[in-house]
Amino acid sequence: MKKIMIDADKCDGCLNCTLACMNAHRADGGDICSLRLTDLQNESRNVIHILPDGSYRPVFCRHCAEPECVNSCMSGALHKNPETGIVEYDEKKCAACYMCVMNCPFGVLKPDDQSRTKVIKCDFCKELGGEPSCVKACPKQAIWVEEVQA
Amino acid sequence: MNNCFSCTTCKSADKPLEGYIAGLSMETSHHRVEGQSVKCGFGLQGVCCRLCSNGPCRITPKAPKGICGATADVIVTRNFLRAVAAGSGCYIHVVENTAKNLKNTARAKGEIKGVNALDHLCELFGIIGGDVHERAEAVAQAVLDDLYRPDDEKMRLLEKLSYAPRFQKWKTLGILPGGAKSEVFAGVVKCSTNLNSDPVDMLMHCLKLGISTGVYGLMLTNLLNDVMLGEPEIMEAPVGLGVIDPDYINIMITGHQHSMFVSLQERLRDEDVQALAKKAGAKGFKLVGCTCVGQDLQLRGVHYADIFSGHAGNNYTSEAVLATGAIDAVLSEFNCTLPGIEPICDELQIKQICLDDVAKKANAELKPFVYEDRENICNEIIEEIVKSYTARRGKVELNLMEEHGNRHTVTGVSEGSLKKFLGGSWKPLIDLIVSGDIKGIAGVVGCSNLTAGGHDVLTVELTKELIAKDILVLSAGCSSGGLENCGLMTPGAAKLAGPKLRAVCEKLGIPPVLNFGPCLAIGRLEMVATELAEAIGVDIPQLPLVLSAAQWLEEQALADGAFGLALGLPLHLGLPPFITGSELVTKVLTEDMKELTGGQVIINSDAKASAGILDGIIEQKRAELKI
Amino acid sequence: MRHLIIGASAAGLTAAKTIRSIDRDCEITVVSKDDKVHSRCMLHKYLSGERTAEGISFVPEDFFQENRIEWISGAEVQTVNAVGKTAALADGRTLSFDRLLIATGAQYVVPPVPGLRGAANLYGFRDLSDAEAIDRASQPGSRVVIIGSGLVGMDAAYALLDRGILPVVVEMAERILPLQLDDNAASAYQERFERAGCSFRLNAKAASAEVDENANITAIVLDDGERLPCDYVIIAAGVKPAVGFLDGTPVKPDLLIRVDDHLRTPVEDIYAAGDAAGLSGIWPNAMKQGITAARNMCGEDECYTDLYAMKNTINFFGLTALCIGNINVPGPNADVYIEEDHLNYRKAVVEDGVLKSILLQGDISGGGIYQYLIKNRIRLPYTGSELFRLSFAEFYGFDETSGKYVWQV
Repeated sequence: MKKIMIDADKCDGCLNCTLACMNAHRADGGDICSLRLTDLQNESRNVIHILPDGSYRPVFCRHCAEPECVNSCMSGALHKNPETGIVEYDEKKCAACYMCVMNCPFGVLKPDDQSRTKVIKCDFCKELGGEPSCVKACPKQAIWVEEVQA
Repeated sequence: MNNCFSCTTCKSADKPLEGYIAGLSMETSHHRVEGQSVKCGFGLQGVCCRLCSNGPCRITPKAPKGICGATADVIVTRNFLRAVAAGSGCYIHVVENTAKNLKNTARAKGEIKGVNALDHLCELFGIIGGDVHERAEAVAQAVLDDLYRPDDEKMRLLEKLSYAPRFQKWKTLGILPGGAKSEVFAGVVKCSTNLNSDPVDMLMHCLKLGISTGVYGLMLTNLLNDVMLGEPEIMEAPVGLGVIDPDYINIMITGHQHSMFVSLQERLRDEDVQALAKKAGAKGFKLVGCTCVGQDLQLRGVHYADIFSGHAGNNYTSEAVLATGAIDAVLSEFNCTLPGIEPICDELQIKQICLDDVAKKANAELKPFVYEDRENICNEIIEEIVKSYTARRGKVELNLMEEHGNRHTVTGVSEGSLKKFLGGSWKPLIDLIVSGDIKGIAGVVGCSNLTAGGHDVLTVELTKELIAKDILVLSAGCSSGGLENCGLMTPGAAKLAGPKLRAVCEKLGIPPVLNFGPCLAIGRLEMVATELAEAIGVDIPQLPLVLSAAQWLEEQALADGAFGLALGLPLHLGLPPFITGSELVTKVLTEDMKELTGGQVIINSDAKASAGILDGIIEQKRAELKI
Repeated sequence: MRHLIIGASAAGLTAAKTIRSIDRDCEITVVSKDDKVHSRCMLHKYLSGERTAEGISFVPEDFFQENRIEWISGAEVQTVNAVGKTAALADGRTLSFDRLLIATGAQYVVPPVPGLRGAANLYGFRDLSDAEAIDRASQPGSRVVIIGSGLVGMDAAYALLDRGILPVVVEMAERILPLQLDDNAASAYQERFERAGCSFRLNAKAASAEVDENANITAIVLDDGERLPCDYVIIAAGVKPAVGFLDGTPVKPDLLIRVDDHLRTPVEDIYAAGDAAGLSGIWPNAMKQGITAARNMCGEDECYTDLYAMKNTINFFGLTALCIGNINVPGPNADVYIEEDHLNYRKAVVEDGVLKSILLQGDISGGGIYQYLIKNRIRLPYTGSELFRLSFAEFYGFDETSGKYVWQV
């Protein structure tokens, strides 16, 4: 399966991946210049953390082989696609119980900030085609897509 | 759940203040640090260029140059020069207004409180004859004339105000500035799109701007203010949020241009105005000091004891000052008036008035200070403030912090008052330095920020480390605001000093950290340095004297810093000034500068390590002086 | 190979799917009382009218075809012949199996309150059939008493409020959601429910039920004498494994089924998972047990290790909470850290530098790391309220071959 690989040492904390993710998932569409940066609807699926020593740690959904989120979903909204390996999320099915948030051991998942009716989850930008938006936006090549064993 | 805005406020060296802010229901800058904790590395390193539509360009291993071909060195220096030019512009604006106010005061035959200071300037400038007002006008005019010169015409007062060996050095290096305003202009032009691409030339321009900033923006602003407002005198004063007395109509003042408040200060003392306050139900009016202009009022507190309640705190204390609920109006005229105070003023129904459009706040009323119209302006302001007091008091809850700060901060220290305190000569201080009772002097100056460990954290920790090493600390700027609220400027703080410095302080009844007041008074520290060098007969870089802008915040601080470097002083910074993306710039500032001016930048965010480095430099200078 | 699975909820269907993913050729039969697959945790969405019965299914519509599973729905298993490896259905049919999984879940308990048992208008809130019955009984303005303010009782109350029915909730403990929350966090929910029209009787016990000639409860009388007139009662005072049909079989020698770490019952080839196995009562664990049981049924060798069941999430009125461990009973050497602002309440219990329990109310983003920290008894890098700022970044490890994150502790 394809995976977003990460070299944390290369990350410069510019948050381009975060912006790209927000832009890829905005409801109204458009380019980065028209992205409303303060609109709670435009949430990023990835988070860049900073450690006290100033180094960065990119936290991105791993689309796990044994996804704890899928294994805790009681609505059927989360599902691991056996062909692509992507852990898919169907917002319409989701009951916003947030068992998945509690069970993701890497703390990737979060409730949406605006309504607390859905989960903010990486979809590999599959609807947009091509590489995930975050990967395309990284100026340091700290994240890239690679085919790995599932 | 409770009413606190959030649990993620940053640390403060001032623990009671930290607790107070954490308990507030409104958002302050201290709350916003967490959300801004992930910094863009390109921005941090100064390698993001937005000078043209091809950008933003950033430097990475696979893209080591911008589209135009600018290297990291060029991008970093352009950004740095831009910041220094803007910072210089700010201080030059302050001295320009100060000189104009002095000129107008002189023409209107207004009160000249500092005749000694005037005489001193006349002597320096070579102004002979005339009465007090004529001489004051001539002084002001001489300053203005210099400020307005073109950049190819050197400023004339510079040599008279500078230490000769330094002036020669600057001349040799070709960094004597032309007209101060024109030099800002030239600096801005140099770093625009596809103009200057010589990092060294641009860095030398930074030094030039540093000189005009330091000598005019800093030193002369103080000296002109001394003429108008009266000279500082050493005294004890209360500091902290405890100075706010809710029984008065309280006006928080922020900014840097004390001379703009003179008319109001005087008017507030008038009986008919006092009667207005009493009619509204208050005991009177009080100006509550905040940011540097508050420090300046405190410095000259002896002249305004009746209407100045004391200095409440520095830039990042301003939200807390407002949150007490006992402030009825904010009068601001320059920077360090945070945009974040606006929603707080709205919420607490605090009237905001701006006296200078360069610092116009979004929800403030602009009442530009026009000298000729000062009486009307003062009356209008007073009327607005009384209206605000009447409308809000009783409705807005008080959240006082009466025990905050202390009552015994020693203030009023200047190059003049300190020399007077020493008996009219620098010799006693020099003797103490020679004997090692005072190992050296560190100017811990500049701003406060929230990111070098938290609010005032590095400033206070570094200062404690330095005094423990018997290094006397002089402070000017928002750093003073933090140090004084943390009690380091009270005589009692002597016990935190090393044994030798402690003995000196206890004998003289002084604190180990001397309070020169506002950031403008960094100019006073530099006058002290100059006078010490002169008295000893060495050049400034030879002195066992170091500077630290541990928590530098803004572009002005970078222009100040450039002056420190031009003077040949070691300059410590807690956080890098967005230059580390260029090895060349970093090397020039941290190493090569020693060969150029004698100065050097030291970047270190650890208090202990920084104190160690500065102590090492002082020891080395002592050794070189064979003391 | 014939796999028979009794129960079509989290454990049962997850097991069925897992078996199919391992063994393409075996036969899989699922028998269930339910005639519609539904998520028990979403019954409130049905009762409130927000979703249809189909809308609370947790599997795709073509689940049984796609996975080639025979589903005998609406059928009850009467007994299991452990020796003959057959299960007898109530309709007389007999199903044989090579491997059997008992995943019948749990059923609600009716406490011994005079008048409650056997009442015609007493409903549980466990199955779709319960929700359908409540739906039929509900009219605008219905007076409803809910006994128990655990997640089931509060889910029912939440759904009824959505329909304009204002229930009275009776709770023995001093707060609502007593197992998951502490007083402070509970009061935040209570306020919201009250604002919506719900009322509460805390520290209160139902002493008796007044029943009319049609066996309908007309009022619940509390131990302090208060009388709560009602049109029907929802009982949400606890559950027990639904394994009565195994009485007298060697699968269940005493009151409960006991499984080993491979989720095997005492009888070879018979497994149990989910609530029926009595290990833990929450959805994620039931799913994981379904996976483990299925793998073992297919001849693999996997232990079930995630015994940690004291965890839950709550989301009412958009106020979310995440609670792991027992937040209310810190040990004698424990440090309790609390922080609070106008949007959040957070509490953590730390013992010997190890997180024992945590309660996050408000923003629960990324809270999954705390479960990992607690379950694995990982020493915290720092304590104090800073621990609420922890993220995976502090434990960040990355496997460059697989692209997996690895906890560095």
